[in-house]
Amino acid sequence: MLSIKNLKASVDGKAILNGIDLEVNAGEVHAIMGPNGSGKSTLAHILSGRDGYTVNDGEVHYLGQNLLDLETEARAHRGIFLAMQYPVELPGVNNMTFLRESMNAIRKARGEAEIDAVSFMKQVRHRAKQVKLDEKLLKRSVNTGFSGGEKKRNEILQMMMLEPQLAILDETDSGLDIDALRTVADGVNLLRSPDRALIVVTHYQRLLDYIEPDFVHVLASGRVIRSGGKALALELEEKGYEWLQEGAVA
Amino acid sequence: MNACASSFHKAATEYIDSLSNSKGEWLTEQRRAATQRFTALGFPDAGHEAWRYTSVEGLLQQNFKITKNTQVFPEHEVIRQFLREPVAARMVFVDGIFHPDLSDTAGQTGLRVGSLGTAMATGDSSLLGGVGSLSGLGDHGFAALNMATLQDGVVIKVPTGMTIQQPIELLHIATKGLSGQALRTRHSVVLEADASANLVERYLSLDSESNYFNNLVCEISLEDGASLIHQRAQEESRKSYHLCDIHLDIQGNAHYQGINAALGGAWSRTTVHARLGGEGANIELDGFYLAGEGQLTDFHLDVDHSVANCESRENFKGILYGAGKAVFDGLIRVREQAQKSQAHLYNANLMLSRRAEIDTKPQLVILADDVKCSHGTTVGQIDDQALFYLRSRGLDKDQAKRLLSLGFASEIIDSFQCEYLREHLREEIVERMSFKI
Ligand SMILES: Nc1ncnc2c1ncn2[C@@H]1O[C@H](COP(=O)(O)OP(=O)(O)OP(=O)(O)O)[C@@H](O)[C@H]1O
Ligand SMILES: [Mg+2]
Repeated sequence: MLSIKNLKASVDGKAILNGIDLEVNAGEVHAIMGPNGSGKSTLAHILSGRDGYTVNDGEVHYLGQNLLDLETEARAHRGIFLAMQYPVELPGVNNMTFLRESMNAIRKARGEAEIDAVSFMKQVRHRAKQVKLDEKLLKRSVNTGFSGGEKKRNEILQMMMLEPQLAILDETDSGLDIDALRTVADGVNLLRSPDRALIVVTHYQRLLDYIEPDFVHVLASGRVIRSGGKALALELEEKGYEWLQEGAVA
Repeated sequence: MNACASSFHKAATEYIDSLSNSKGEWLTEQRRAATQRFTALGFPDAGHEAWRYTSVEGLLQQNFKITKNTQVFPEHEVIRQFLREPVAARMVFVDGIFHPDLSDTAGQTGLRVGSLGTAMATGDSSLLGGVGSLSGLGDHGFAALNMATLQDGVVIKVPTGMTIQQPIELLHIATKGLSGQALRTRHSVVLEADASANLVERYLSLDSESNYFNNLVCEISLEDGASLIHQRAQEESRKSYHLCDIHLDIQGNAHYQGINAALGGAWSRTTVHARLGGEGANIELDGFYLAGEGQLTDFHLDVDHSVANCESRENFKGILYGAGKAVFDGLIRVREQAQKSQAHLYNANLMLSRRAEIDTKPQLVILADDVKCSHGTTVGQIDDQALFYLRSRGLDKDQAKRLLSLGFASEIIDSFQCEYLREHLREEIVERMSFKI
């Protein structure tokens, strides 16, 4: 589904990704871990098409297409979704309107009919209940004045409504209490299916107890320095990153 | 006097002469005095501080004519603009002239709502007394011309203690045939002590290309304890000219809440002169403006704290796109004796294009020492992060900008109290912006 080969990228001349290789197939869950500043969010942003990064080398293919050629919205239309580490506040933009317009934009791009108001309402209520997002927040401005946990739930709500092919969760678990973590994980698991793939960026092994990964990758200084099964996450929890980084140098 | 001014002077004199033979009270003395005043003032130019960024040259070049005219128009096109809610009274003006058939002035017993034209024809001096009481003969040439040649408008008097809950709707429609003409509309509103009302005042063009000049003056007196909500929307054609001077006299414990939207016009300017004249007087002004290619929009606010313990709050937001241009001038004066005044002024601008232009000038002139005053101005662009967020959810750039722009406007638009108006204004903003962002 997603194939990243030797991806190198920089911001303002500063190298951040230094040759990433990653293969993600449909049905798989990949966890990406790694120290602060190692480039995890940068990778997520580049995959979803954020401006401001210069790709210096490498290739990214998604469903047989050169992903880097596509506009941000075109990627969303083809099923890429990024749950952001820091969801943006949109004062004055109604959460429900935002969700409906997003859904319809994606449907339209796929040649599908717009969702009617009644089905939309039904669906959004149902999904909001699943992620335990207070319905009142649907009527407010997107993320504006939401608590950290509410913002994350709102991201998961959007993900569930938009039903992506490839979802990238960037530290969706950070700042969540234990119950919220469970709810968010349940939401994510509901979406797991043989034709979808997930990339989960996290610092905590705990999330991976709930969302079981098929692969765990460790990113450091813009490179994947180790890949393994879910046992790798447990090992990291115990030993930290240093032993790997030392190993990488050696 | 230049050629342009003298042709206006001649037209005004002829107009007044034509009125003086009719029965009724046509305010001819005031009109003649105003003509003199016009001669003395001439038209404002860049030499006048208040007109520095707002040139009237383009307006004068249009050579708008003063005429008395009646137009044929499809009634249903007017009716379909009515507010979709019950109203206390409805006053419909087509091309500046009151249309009783489309209006509803029955109202509540004791509430007086009528047209200025009728009041002059019948010589109803109790209603005419307010005309000029706050504006004088006019402090610039256009205002003086309005006084000299005023045609029609509303006269409203809400008696002591009366509460009018439902809106009083003032609907001004310009037909296609109005092109080339100058309308002189004048409103006079008096709320006696402890009265309260809700005015909805709108200006619309039936034809999006019509080219005319609305020259308005509005005088509003709020006596002790009175309270007025005044919702105003200017949604005229992109080729029209709109000039409105609002004069407010707000007495002790009276409250004025003005909510404005200016979307249309090639050139539009609104001035609010507010005098807080009794302790406990309070004014809140919210405004939204939109200007794109070929448009200039201007708000001038002048709030005068002349006694102690009054409050004023102004919040104006504008969106500028294409080569749109806006002028915002917010003046707050706190006089020496006006201790314990509270005054807050805020202006925010969203620039969607590099070619757009804003001249914003908040001015606090504070002579008292025990006051709470603040002001702030921002000029910004669409936030990149927000744009990325929306695009990552499948919206294209234009859709994203539209949502963010509406979000920016919503703080003001949401303060309109009529739901229909809120919805309608949102649609209107989207439609007008979709030309090209
Ligand atoms: N726009 C930018 N300008 C300058 N430096 C940047 C920019 N974006 C990212 N960086 C730098 O790139 C590096 C990687 O950042 P990134 O956000 O990808 O790290 P991360 O792995 O997600 O870290 P964390 O675990 O703290 O979220 C950091 O050193 C960061 O400061
Ligand atoms: Mg990060």
